[in-house]
Amino acid sequence: MTVIAADDGVAARDWREAVRAAASALVGAGAAGEGYPDACERVVEENGPYIVLTKGLALVHARPEDGGLAVGVGVTRLAAPVEFGHPDNDPVDLLLAFCTPDPDAHVGTLAALARSLSGGLADRLRGAPGREELAGALKEAVPDA
Amino acid sequence: MALDRRLEVLAVCGVGMGSSLMLKMTAEDALGALGVDARVENTDVSSARGMSPDVVIGQGMHTGEIADLAPVVITISDFLDKDGLAAQLRERLTEQGWLP
Repeated sequence: MTVIAADDGVAARDWREAVRAAASALVGAGAAGEGYPDACERVVEENGPYIVLTKGLALVHARPEDGGLAVGVGVTRLAAPVEFGHPDNDPVDLLLAFCTPDPDAHVGTLAALARSLSGGLADRLRGAPGREELAGALKEAVPDA
Repeated sequence: MALDRRLEVLAVCGVGMGSSLMLKMTAEDALGALGVDARVENTDVSSARGMSPDVVIGQGMHTGEIADLAPVVITISDFLDKDGLAAQLRERLTEQGWLP
């Protein structure tokens, strides 16, 4: 069972605030512990902006031991895009965050998400009128949610 | 000369469980489209150093660190771009003689 979270119109001044907001949506939904936003920010600090995996979209996450309580996926749509410092895929207006309690539990969910992204999920999320529809579009993409 | 076994492909990212998993899916689709028999695994860039795949795929910030790991190292910016990846794979695998 995958926990779904959605947040719309989030004001972020930079990538740090954007990443923290995306991770906090999972904390709010009960899928991740309090330390998860810090850990997600650290991942980008340590490994660079590679989490921006396609134009305008970042995949926010940390490791299971950083506070993954359940498999959770969240979408956060920013009020205004931010720069991550990615050579090709900046600026970012859409963040997908996930968490997982162990290194394997999320694989099915993420595979489904990858398929949906190939099938135009990012456009559907950008076109969603509001938070409810954002959550709905994400839920459709993850079969066991 | 032609490869007489399954192609070993490694998708890398910083942590090895999110972006690289997305990339693995994209790579499987791209290799499937080319008709290449391949096994694709995903991992983090540090663990990748201990492996000896035929092909490594990742973003430039990571492939730069492991440029000598495999005969074919492919840099890709868009982890969802199957067609772009298939085109790069076709060219590089053909160079190696692994594709006719």
